[in-house]
Amino acid sequence: MRWSDGCAELYRVLIGGAALLLCAASAHAEATPIPHGTLELIAQNQSIVAGQTIDLGLHFQLEKGWHIYWTNPGDSGEPPRVEWQLPAGLTAGSIEWPTPQRLGTSTIVDYGYENAVLLIVPMNAEASLTEQQPVRLGAKIRLLVCSHEMCLPGKADISLTLPAKSQPSALDARTADLFAAARKSLPRSPPQNWRFSLADAKDSFMLSANLGRRITQAIFFPLAESQIENAAPQNLQPSATGFQMTLRKSAQLVKPIERLKGVLVLSGGQGYLIDLPLSKPRAPKGKAATISGSTHYNSY
Amino acid sequence: MKRSTPYPTLVYPALIALALCAVSAALVGAAAPDFTATASNGKTVRLSDYRGKFVVLEWHNNGCPFVRKQYNSGNMQKLQKQWTSQGVVWFTILSSAPGKQGYATASEENDYMAKMQAAPTAALLDPTGAIGHLYDAKTSPHMFVINPQGVVIYDGAIDDKPTPDLNDVPGATNYVSLALQQAMAGKQVETAATRPYGCSVKYADATH
Repeated sequence: MRWSDGCAELYRVLIGGAALLLCAASAHAEATPIPHGTLELIAQNQSIVAGQTIDLGLHFQLEKGWHIYWTNPGDSGEPPRVEWQLPAGLTAGSIEWPTPQRLGTSTIVDYGYENAVLLIVPMNAEASLTEQQPVRLGAKIRLLVCSHEMCLPGKADISLTLPAKSQPSALDARTADLFAAARKSLPRSPPQNWRFSLADAKDSFMLSANLGRRITQAIFFPLAESQIENAAPQNLQPSATGFQMTLRKSAQLVKPIERLKGVLVLSGGQGYLIDLPLSKPRAPKGKAATISGSTHYNSY
Repeated sequence: MKRSTPYPTLVYPALIALALCAVSAALVGAAAPDFTATASNGKTVRLSDYRGKFVVLEWHNNGCPFVRKQYNSGNMQKLQKQWTSQGVVWFTILSSAPGKQGYATASEENDYMAKMQAAPTAALLDPTGAIGHLYDAKTSPHMFVINPQGVVIYDGAIDDKPTPDLNDVPGATNYVSLALQQAMAGKQVETAATRPYGCSVKYADATH
C-alpha cells in the first residue's frame, strides 16, 4: 500500500538523516539534517560588528541525485523559505541567489541546485549593538528537496552564535573558501558596453545581444514565473557580435509583459543579471520582428 | 524523417511553426484531447463519453507534499464530493511511473482512496505518462476543467497558495471551483490559465 510506503520512506529519510548527522558531527557540529542532505548556518566573519553588515550563508549539502530550488523554481517545486529569529538590532537582508542549473526533462524544466550550494544572506547589525554578550542568530527553514523520482518536504531549525564586537572582525578561515566560491557563482551586472534588446515576436520574445563577439552558447533563466515557457528550447542564433535567442512565451502569460528580468549564462558558466524593457512595436519594425521570428522556426 | 513529401517544402516551416504555437498556447479554449484509460475500479474510461458534462482532471501523486496538503486537510475530498454531487465528472489521474513517488497499482489506489475517503468519479492509471503528456501535466496537483462541449476552460494550479503548508488551505482561492461556478452560471472563466504548482510529475522519462 502506498501509504505505508510513504511511512517507510519517512523512516528511511530519518535514519539517513541521523546517519548524516553523525557523519557531519565530526566536521561541523551544527549541520542539521534535511531530507537527503544537511543544512548549516555559517558566517564569513568571526563576529558580528556593530554598525556593519556581515555575510551569513545557508550551506546546503545534498546527496547525489537530489536538488533544491532557485528563487523562481521553474515548472515545479519551491525555493527554500527562511524565517529569521534574531535579537533586536539585527536585520537580515534577502538571499543572494547563485546562478541556478536547468534541471528536468523535455517537458518539465525546473531551476535549482544539485550537490551543494551556499545561499548568502547579508546580516546588518545596528551601531547601537552592545558587545557584552554573544548573539544567537536563528532561522527556521522550510524547503522542498526533490529527485526525479520523488519530492520530500523538509524543515530545519538552524542557528549560529557569534560574539558581538565593535571592531571590524576577522574572516573565518573555515568558511572563506565557501563564501569565495559562492560569490563567484552569483550573477553579475553585465559589462557597460554590452547591449541587449527584447522584442515581441508573437508566441515568443526575441532577445538580441551585442557583446562585441560571436556567442554560440547561452541559457536564460527568468526571474519571474509564467513569463517564458521553461521547457521550450531556447533557440540561439549566433551573430558576428553576439546572438539572438528565441524565448517562447509562457502558456500562462495572459497579460503583455513590460520587462523581462533574469540571469543570462554564457559558456563558462558566468551569469549576468539582465533586466530588459520590451521594445514597443513600431509599425514596420513590428512586422520585421514577426518575420525574424518565423526565420527562427525555419531553423528548427 | 524519411517520408515522401506530401507538401511543398516551403510549407514545412509553417507547419513546424504551427506545431510550436500549439505547444506554446495554453490548452484553454482548445478541444480537450481525448483518451482512453483504465480506472483503478477496473473500468475503461473514455473522456469523450462524458460530453455534456463538466469534467475535472486532477493530476495526483499521493506522496507529494503539495498533494498531501490537499488530502490531509480533506480539501481535495471535499471538492470531489461537492462537485460530483452537482453532476461534475472528476478524474484523478496517476502518471507516476512504476518505482517512482505516486505510482500505485489499482488495488493500492483503491486502498488509498478508501483510507482517505476520496470521492472522484474514478482514479485513472497512467503509468506510461501518455495522458499526462497529452495534457502537458507538469505538477501534482495540476488541474484541468473541461466544459460540456469538450473544451478546456481551466488549466493550472488548484489554488492561489503555492505552498505545501496545510495552513494555507483555508484562506486560498480555489481556481477549480471558481471556474466551475463561473462556467455553470454561463459566465466566462476569469482566471482560465495559471501556473500549476507542486512536485514535477514523476514521468517514466524524467531523468536529468
